[in-house]
Amino acid sequence: MILIHCPYCDEKRPEIEFVNAGQAHISRPLDPSSQTDEEWEAYLFIRANPRGRHHERWRHTYGCGRFFNAVRDTVSDKFETTYKAGEPRR
Amino acid sequence: MSGFRLETGGRVDRGQTVQFSFDGKSYQGLAGDTLASALLANGVMLFGRSFKYHRPRGVMAAGSEEPNALISVDRGPGRFTPNLRATGVEIYPELKAVSQNRWPSLKADFGAINDRLGMFFPAGFYNKTFMWPRSFWDKVYEPAIRKMAGLGDAPTAEDPDHYAATYAHCDLLIVGAGPAGIDAALGYMDTNKRIILIDEQDELGGGALADPALWPWLERSHKALIDAPNVTILTRTTAFGYYHDNFIGAVQRLTDHLPELGDAPREKLWRIRAGEVVLAQGAIERPLVFDGNDTPGVMLSSAARSFANRYGVAVGKAVVLMASHDSGWHDVFALAKAGVGIAAIIDVRESVDSALMHEAERLGIAVHLNHSVMGVTGRHSVRAVQICNNGDYLGRRIDCDAVLMAGGWTPSVHLWSHSKGSLKWRDDLGAYVPDLPNENVVCVGGCSGDWDFGTGAIIDMLPTPKDQSRIKAFVDFQNDVTAKDIKLAVREGFRSIEHIKRYTTNGMATDQGKTSNLNGLQIASSALNKPVADIGLTSFRPPYTPQTFGALAGHAKGALFQPTRTTNIDSWAQAHGAVFELVAQWRRARYFPKPGEDMHAAVNRECVAVRSSVGIFDASTLGKIEVVGPDAAEFLNRMYTNPWKALEPGRCRYGLLLKEDGFITDDGVSARLAPDRFHLTTTTGGAARVLNMMEDYLQTEWPDLDVWLTSTTEQYAVIALQGPNARKLLEPLVEGIDLSEEAFPHMAIREGMICGIPTRLFRVSFTGELGFEINVPTAYGRALWERLMAQGAQYDVTPYGTEAMHVLRAEKGFIIVGQDTDGTVTPFDAGLDWAVGKKKPDFVGKRSMVRPDIVAPGRKQLVGLLTDDPNVVLEEGAQIVADPKQAVPMTMIGHVTSSYWSQTLGRSIALALVAGGHEMTGATLHIPMPGKTHTAKVSGLVFYDPEGARLHV
Amino acid sequence: MSDVLIRNEPVAETPYVAAGVTISLALPMQRLALRARRAEDLETVLKVTLPRKIGASEGGIACLGPDEWYLRAQAGATIPTASGLPVAITDISDRSICLVLEGPRAAEILMSGCPLDLNKFAVGQVARTIYETVEIIIIREAEDRFHVELWRSFAAWFWIAMTTAARH
Repeated sequence: MILIHCPYCDEKRPEIEFVNAGQAHISRPLDPSSQTDEEWEAYLFIRANPRGRHHERWRHTYGCGRFFNAVRDTVSDKFETTYKAGEPRR
Repeated sequence: MSGFRLETGGRVDRGQTVQFSFDGKSYQGLAGDTLASALLANGVMLFGRSFKYHRPRGVMAAGSEEPNALISVDRGPGRFTPNLRATGVEIYPELKAVSQNRWPSLKADFGAINDRLGMFFPAGFYNKTFMWPRSFWDKVYEPAIRKMAGLGDAPTAEDPDHYAATYAHCDLLIVGAGPAGIDAALGYMDTNKRIILIDEQDELGGGALADPALWPWLERSHKALIDAPNVTILTRTTAFGYYHDNFIGAVQRLTDHLPELGDAPREKLWRIRAGEVVLAQGAIERPLVFDGNDTPGVMLSSAARSFANRYGVAVGKAVVLMASHDSGWHDVFALAKAGVGIAAIIDVRESVDSALMHEAERLGIAVHLNHSVMGVTGRHSVRAVQICNNGDYLGRRIDCDAVLMAGGWTPSVHLWSHSKGSLKWRDDLGAYVPDLPNENVVCVGGCSGDWDFGTGAIIDMLPTPKDQSRIKAFVDFQNDVTAKDIKLAVREGFRSIEHIKRYTTNGMATDQGKTSNLNGLQIASSALNKPVADIGLTSFRPPYTPQTFGALAGHAKGALFQPTRTTNIDSWAQAHGAVFELVAQWRRARYFPKPGEDMHAAVNRECVAVRSSVGIFDASTLGKIEVVGPDAAEFLNRMYTNPWKALEPGRCRYGLLLKEDGFITDDGVSARLAPDRFHLTTTTGGAARVLNMMEDYLQTEWPDLDVWLTSTTEQYAVIALQGPNARKLLEPLVEGIDLSEEAFPHMAIREGMICGIPTRLFRVSFTGELGFEINVPTAYGRALWERLMAQGAQYDVTPYGTEAMHVLRAEKGFIIVGQDTDGTVTPFDAGLDWAVGKKKPDFVGKRSMVRPDIVAPGRKQLVGLLTDDPNVVLEEGAQIVADPKQAVPMTMIGHVTSSYWSQTLGRSIALALVAGGHEMTGATLHIPMPGKTHTAKVSGLVFYDPEGARLHV
Repeated sequence: MSDVLIRNEPVAETPYVAAGVTISLALPMQRLALRARRAEDLETVLKVTLPRKIGASEGGIACLGPDEWYLRAQAGATIPTASGLPVAITDISDRSICLVLEGPRAAEILMSGCPLDLNKFAVGQVARTIYETVEIIIIREAEDRFHVELWRSFAAWFWIAMTTAARH
């Protein structure tokens, strides 16, 4: 069970307090109706599956309740960094 | 006692004899003995039969690396533990141990025929032989093979024991309490670090327990550590796995060594988070590979020393050492000193340190350098060895009753490898040692390759003049893998050690190759003519030694297996004979049978009561979310399919929630309490998911909205009163709310008091009848329920459960999300397009409603089904076909999602998802079920009171 | 029949006493979920000072998240209204019960299923966390006294978990 640094609580907390919430930095289009089928498909379904550095969202569900972003290495399972939702991609 | 117990020595208590049994025969040991040492003291050499060839096997080691002496301990029904290593089972009075994998008895084992046929059982034999016919594998080959090849029997009765679990935290975790681990603990004892010291044995000391010269030091150290307030000592505890961020799993055995079990947990799971870890797991001696090296009586040299010095047991009276390493010489000298007869020292090397030669000479032990054991005489025990000169292979026979193998040492890097620390090959040790750490961890002592055992030759197997295809020189004793098997794998083209391992199963037994991995590597290296370091090393994985399922489950057993959530009214239902079902984690009353009623009779009665008078239902499990803030209406407008901004305070609305892909994910009736306050309801199972989804949008997509969500599921007990008499029942109990149709219409909410308690009173209906849902602070749920039951006696108010609720809603065509939808159903598919705000510019899922696949024809759509025979109740999940005469496999056009007997309608009703169903009204469809294919006609969704007249009264 | 409805609690109202720990049900209390983007907005409404650091508590109010506070007060206190303001106040008095673990073994018993290092948990510190699979809020009231808040429907299960751990 890894430890994850929650950027809101500003401390490392045990993994079982957190829930993974998929790939990070995928914004809902401001006007979905204007999206082409291809654009909407990309937003809904197309996700990265990198070997190595991966941007993903986590929620500190059993803690402060906040969604935040993280960079995790999918090979070593080590977190490189975590940062608050809305902050620029790292 | 037989003559194998030495006159003196050992840490056993010679004043305390212990009676135990093995395979039904009674033996005596001493307190402090393991099953292995006690049986050896009684002259028992034969402990079990091997996995594949059923060869007789004895004890090879003295610790947890033991591959051969696997036995079962029987403590009564459900307390039968197979595959225990006899070297780790502490004896206690009346211990009952039995041998494994033999029939009819250990000495006369029928399966040993496999050994005679051994030349027909090479690596990959099963895969190559039992290929045809394919259908035979499951029914014929595998059961037969499993019956013959195997370990101990799994217990069949339920485990009556209970288990404990805990998390623990420390600054320093030391795994292994041999001299290196103890030194580490002593070194940090005077700091303010919290230290946990773990050892798998019953006492601290590790290798020092076999070295009497160290015992005074051990005793002093032990006392110092016990007295240190910052040191926690866990003995009989195995650190079985090393996980990320210095998280270590360990199992402490609490009662397995006790004669009386009492009420204590059997084992305790420790989940330890350590700041820093010191691994002091020591090293494991390596066997030598030669013909007959698995004969009972052939064992590791260090094990013989342990048996003599720790347990006071001689492993033989004429012992031969076969060495490639100095450490065996020191062991034999210690044995001689302890009074064990030594027949000879044989060393494969041409020369050894002169000090060793002098000591052997002083002790009068015959030495044969540059010699190897080429064969062992004896089947159930050793009677002699044939040795030969390595150059000209001139042989001779030495009579003996035990053969010690000293093949060098393998650092125990198991936990280090779990932690993903890297390894480096050391030619001088012929072993992998820890290199770069991946966690905050260091290795000390034997497991880092730091030892003072002397030096040795690194060899793959002993030289022999015999035909190599005819000998049985074992590498993996537990999985019966021989040197020949590994060479065969290489000949057949396997190059990677990972493939060789899987093909031969070398290192894949319950001991994970503790004694076999390095010998397997050396043999593969020779066969491939490549250095070992170029072949790699297979990965070690948790657990370090086998652990019980009970220990891993910990306290999550029985009532603590997983939480069962109960409502405030649950205790009333229980007291009144309700039959329950689990809905998500909730326990809900399914129906309330009266004496003599089965489920159908009870459900029929409950349904009729609701339609004719009034029913009472515990709806507390419905998810509830309070949405508060100036932007509350805006937020809900974006989340739900229908418009929310114009909803007036005091009114309710059915909300349909989609995921962004356009499919229904939840629904529920919600109320506006004030301009900036809504009371949402969700499905029982969807409560947490919906709140999470809403938080996600709120926090990450629309963080500018001033609105907050709070789960209020458990703030309110909810009692539904449904039926024509609901108002009459309720009226006398309510204060401050006018219940009349005019003042309080369907789909409205009022706040007031009921029986002196504040309530949020909904006028809603999931049955199609006049109905109310009474929300009160949860703690008052049961008392209010009882008051309503008393008040309703005059109307014969009837408690109903989830089953009747399902029937009643199905009669009205109300869907249950997750039953009538499956994550691929759109509002249009479900006939709920009326709940979609066509004019809204956006809501979650809107864009997807015009995705090509969602507007394509032929989608599965929800319809009603009326069977032609009204007495047939279709099976939920039954498949639907258009043409029953079609050859199998038939084209399935849909399935039944809900199906019930409707007592009100006097016939069966069903809902189904059918491709193009909305266009099929009146069509006949076919539903194959066991025994018969039924026919049904497609209908609308609403079977009862389609005008809704009963709601507005 | 009395006219007053009686509260029905999900666990025994008599304390469980074991070596080193006593486990008891706290009296009913008022609980409010307080939410606001700016703590000042809530402070104006409530006329109190809110702790700013997640995990801190002050005057019965714990900070659980960047915009979330948890107020515990005497049962029946008036619930302030804040209609129209950018804050949210929600009554959750009956959502949870509170178990009090008192005694030198209190931390050890909670750690049977809670992964936090409670031996390093300061008096006054608060954490919303997890016990095995169940959300709890831990409040260290004193060196040897913890309050554990959890949703009512899990209480019967949690009571068994705590008393079992106390027996082990």
